[in-house]
Amino acid sequence: MATARERLAKATRFYQIIWALCLIGMFIPLISPLGLPVTVSEPVKDYYNSIVELPEGSVIAVSFGASASLLDEQEAQFLATWKTIFKNGYKVIFYCSTEDASIVINNELDEVVPESFGYTYGEDYVILPYSPLGEAGQAAFAQSIRSIYSTDINGDPLNSIPLMQDIDNHEGIDLLIYQYTSCTDIEWAVRQWVVPYKTAVIATTLGCCGPMAAPYYPTQIQGFLSGSGAGTELEVVSGNPGPGAAMSDAKNLGILPFLAAIIWMNVKPFIGKED
Amino acid sequence: MAVFRREIPTAVLSFIGIVILLAFFTTFDIFETLDGVFTSWIPVVSAVSVGLGLIYMIYAQYMNYQRDKNLNNMIYLVVPLIFFAIFFGTAMLVPGNISSDAYQWLYFHIYQNVGGVIYAVMFFTLASSAIRTMRLVTKDPAGGYQFRLEAAALMFGGLIYTLRQIPLFQVYLPGIVGFGELIMLVPNVGGGRAAVIAAALAAITVGIRTLWGKERTTTEVD
Repeated sequence: MATARERLAKATRFYQIIWALCLIGMFIPLISPLGLPVTVSEPVKDYYNSIVELPEGSVIAVSFGASASLLDEQEAQFLATWKTIFKNGYKVIFYCSTEDASIVINNELDEVVPESFGYTYGEDYVILPYSPLGEAGQAAFAQSIRSIYSTDINGDPLNSIPLMQDIDNHEGIDLLIYQYTSCTDIEWAVRQWVVPYKTAVIATTLGCCGPMAAPYYPTQIQGFLSGSGAGTELEVVSGNPGPGAAMSDAKNLGILPFLAAIIWMNVKPFIGKED
Repeated sequence: MAVFRREIPTAVLSFIGIVILLAFFTTFDIFETLDGVFTSWIPVVSAVSVGLGLIYMIYAQYMNYQRDKNLNNMIYLVVPLIFFAIFFGTAMLVPGNISSDAYQWLYFHIYQNVGGVIYAVMFFTLASSAIRTMRLVTKDPAGGYQFRLEAAALMFGGLIYTLRQIPLFQVYLPGIVGFGELIMLVPNVGGGRAAVIAAALAAITVGIRTLWGKERTTTEVD
């Protein structure tokens, strides 16, 4: 009879093998892409339609709470969203709610350059710097942007920025794109934007947070993206290819060792293998 | 002093809570104005709490080292401080601050990669946990088999939702997309909404207790 330490070591080895096989499975499509088609789900279609069906000249606020550590999970969503917005010529106010967000958004907009779509900073889009908003901060932003931000990310006063001249609260916002990485934060947008002001909201988050956004769809939030898979779907539906395709391809084979391990764990008790 | 630890925080909490409630449920402009002032204070308080958190974290690590002076605890204390000094110093002293090339290099070559690795390892351990959780049958000490209903429910919902997101299964397992969305948008929504309503009722209870000064954990830290 194996000791507890030996059993733990054996179990650890088992999981290490599974992890290694998952990694190998993920790498194969990166070297030799499978290129399988992607089916677009309803929440993603509605997310896309909520953007493209806005009237011309609409103003979109992007509550940007990105985490650099989790960028792989969301970058495809971001890039496809920015391209969709810029192609349609909407005005955008990016406001950063996490420490990482202001750095990440600058990096993103180096890749999807708004100026290449005919945008001018200050007139068509503006970036507001990091402020530790939280739920109360979202409420304050919806009530008065200037109560939170007096300047943009470059330190210019909001009153000197043409886009912000007539905008100070939810009344100037036609759509909120609410980006977050902590699953229950979706409730902040619902409580502070949808319930009091009936603002149209769509959300973009991690794969694991999708099931917690779903209870608010489609009544409170009009659509949502969860994880890199939804990012790939947005790339497909919007016609903006990006990094999502490679990620979805990598998942195709990476998941197989995980499934095999589940089957093995369920078969094991019946063939007399030690638990 | 108890009055600073309990009475004053409770009075502040109750006053602000009542004003915000009145702003929501009445039409008097004064409450609306005060509500705006209070909510705009929150980011300031949050920003201060970030600094306090840093001091508290350093103090906790220092006390941990004082309790048990070994090499590991020394590393846990010193290494974060070194990295903090590098990042903070670069952000404050290098021209361009966080937009400078030096800070951007630190950010994208150290911070992002370390963070990404931590999350990747975490997701691998989550996968291991899922494998263990999705064992439908376990052996009891007497050698009999036990069927685990909760594991079956988790496996059913979890696997379908997971497979639905992978192109391989979308192509070769027709119907998985619709079934996955059904799982997500019907039972998940029902359960999720029930949980939200239950949490909202609990929040009302906690809110009332806080306004009455009965929720001691909101004002006192041991």
